[in-house]
Amino acid sequence: MTALAERQAVEVGPPQRRGVRFIVSHPKVLAGIGILTLFAFLAVAQPLLEATVWARQPQLYDAEFGFDSSIAHPSAPSAAHWLGTSSLGRDVFAMLLHATRPTLLVALSAALSIGVVSVLFGSIAAFRRGWADGFISHLSDAMVLLPAMLAVFVLGISRSDEEFGALHVGLTFGVLYGLGPATATVRAAAMTVVAKPFMDAARVAGGGGFWIVSRHVLPHLYPHAAVQAMIGATGAIIADAFLSFRSAVGEDVGFGQMVYDGLVWSEFLAGIAATPWWIMLAGAGGITLLAAAFYLVGVGLREALDPRSEHHERS
Amino acid sequence: MTQALSERRPQVPWFVSFLGRRLAWALITLFIFLTAVFFFMQIWVPYSWATQFMQGGFGAFDAARRAAGLDRPLPEQYAEFMVGLVQGDLGTSFNGGEVIDIIREALPVTLTVFIAGTAIGWIAGELLGRFGSWNRGPFSGSVMATLGVLSATIFPPFLVFLLVHWLREPLLAFREVLGLPTDSLDLWRGAVTGEPGALQPGDVRWFVALSLTAAVVAALIVRSYARRHQLPLVEGLALPGMVVAMGLGIWLSGLGPHAVDLLYRVDISVSTGRGSPALAMFGVVLISFGQVMLLMRAGMDAERSEDYVLTGRAKGLSERAVRDRHVARNVISPVLAGSFLTFPTVLAGMIIVEFELEMRGLSRVLFDAIEFQDIPVIMGVMVVLGLMGVGFRLVTDVTIAALDPRQRRGRA
Repeated sequence: MTALAERQAVEVGPPQRRGVRFIVSHPKVLAGIGILTLFAFLAVAQPLLEATVWARQPQLYDAEFGFDSSIAHPSAPSAAHWLGTSSLGRDVFAMLLHATRPTLLVALSAALSIGVVSVLFGSIAAFRRGWADGFISHLSDAMVLLPAMLAVFVLGISRSDEEFGALHVGLTFGVLYGLGPATATVRAAAMTVVAKPFMDAARVAGGGGFWIVSRHVLPHLYPHAAVQAMIGATGAIIADAFLSFRSAVGEDVGFGQMVYDGLVWSEFLAGIAATPWWIMLAGAGGITLLAAAFYLVGVGLREALDPRSEHHERS
Repeated sequence: MTQALSERRPQVPWFVSFLGRRLAWALITLFIFLTAVFFFMQIWVPYSWATQFMQGGFGAFDAARRAAGLDRPLPEQYAEFMVGLVQGDLGTSFNGGEVIDIIREALPVTLTVFIAGTAIGWIAGELLGRFGSWNRGPFSGSVMATLGVLSATIFPPFLVFLLVHWLREPLLAFREVLGLPTDSLDLWRGAVTGEPGALQPGDVRWFVALSLTAAVVAALIVRSYARRHQLPLVEGLALPGMVVAMGLGIWLSGLGPHAVDLLYRVDISVSTGRGSPALAMFGVVLISFGQVMLLMRAGMDAERSEDYVLTGRAKGLSERAVRDRHVARNVISPVLAGSFLTFPTVLAGMIIVEFELEMRGLSRVLFDAIEFQDIPVIMGVMVVLGLMGVGFRLVTDVTIAALDPRQRRGRA
């Protein structure tokens, strides 16, 4: 990304020795962590609910095969079905819980692979310089042009979950996004780090390449990689949701599939009954809230790390 | 000293060497991009057009592979792909048609939506971020953050549903207000079937886009001339005046109403459908403005504590001058650079929006090709998207260099 991203990286600045508490106190980071906690709770809530509240009628609240024969479907939210039911008679709240875990897996695997790939290539480029840097910076410029989301669609549309599941989506997206925008940003940050005087001091002290990189370069890159990982994970969540939206067949349960169900029935029921907002909102809300959680943490982190931001003045 | 230097060296305008370097960069990047696309499609993607013949046994599968030329060694296919590209040949679809023809048919819609959508989205985000940082109400910060995050994370198919649900009727009503002609479809059909060389919708869009660009460039030149010669009135009116004059000219020439009418068309042969280019543009604006707004606001917030802001105020500059002339100008180029990195996300969002609106653009071509495992077409679409990206990047670079002289030199 060269000159462009270097300016971008300067915006973030070096990591401050302010500790975790300082970063977490940023309102955006705080909001993001709050939403993530909610989803983590949702992910573990299903077995708990099945063991307690839903224990008497498990067939009603099965996310995949549940059916309530006492009412017509899709039905609006009620005491029995907190978020209503889908067109196939499944409980929307149970579907929401069921869909949370694979989506979290997509987001976390994408975030992790973005972090690893960008730190690896960014530090190699900055430390080795020369042809390695030339190659990596051109490669990352080229990969910015190849949207990871579209690559996921090319690989994943019209293939079943067994062939191309949550982990595949996360890792594919993570590697491609990691090589593109994330490496461009982290490399630019690494360039400013290796130009610092303490690098010369480390060399004079007789440190080997690996020691210098792991002790003196990488710690400065982790925050930048974390920002990229969090913002990138947003795209992975939306890509996964669109896959689920496009291949919405059978018993598969996903956020995107819930939106699809609502869309189809709103067209089907147009003029006959009210739009089944509950199922669409549950699906779209799940996607956007989860994506927003990652995005907020990423953006908040970037703002908190900027040494000129007001967050520093306030604390 | 400077006099002596400039005498020794012949003066080359900065943008000649700058553009030269950027074009060299673009060529190398494109080469790597195309190589990456080729090997991604050939190695990473597990299916090919021949996969569908698997059920016919391996004899049928092998025959299909041979027929499509997929059994040749990879380097040979790669060389053919690259040589074909240099000659402007994107290969042949597995369904028989030339890929370049398929794409040429779909490109105008997508390009119009993308260029207009991202440009409006960028300007809206920039302005909102700029004013939001300066004029703070009690809730403006959290409202803007919420809007920005929503724009960056909304699920595009759901956004499309909301757009169709709420915006389709008002848009159609606005059409009545404008009094647009309804015969533009017939007009162009007649032009297509009738005289050769007559105006076609694609040409009209190009005409409008190119003439608007020319007007803006001319206005910028007039503006910089006026600034150098201390003519504040001319400077202030140059840009809006030029755009208004241009728009009026296009409208009065009779082209304008027909061109705007095209914004309501899903496709030249289909006049009904859920979407229209105008609706898609609105969708692209909504998914692209948020990230720019957040970047701009964060940048302005950080910059306003710098010393020169205090100096400007102490000097008696108006708040507007401090904001627009000094702070915003420092923030814009990193924001431009940062928003280029969001290009893949916005592009993918646009593809989904366009597809969900059932428009006959590149997204339709792409998703149809994925369904039929038509690899040459998928590759063709990726190549075109890459070219769009490079063009977008060059525009970004030139804009940054024009705004910030420090960026004109340095490594390419």
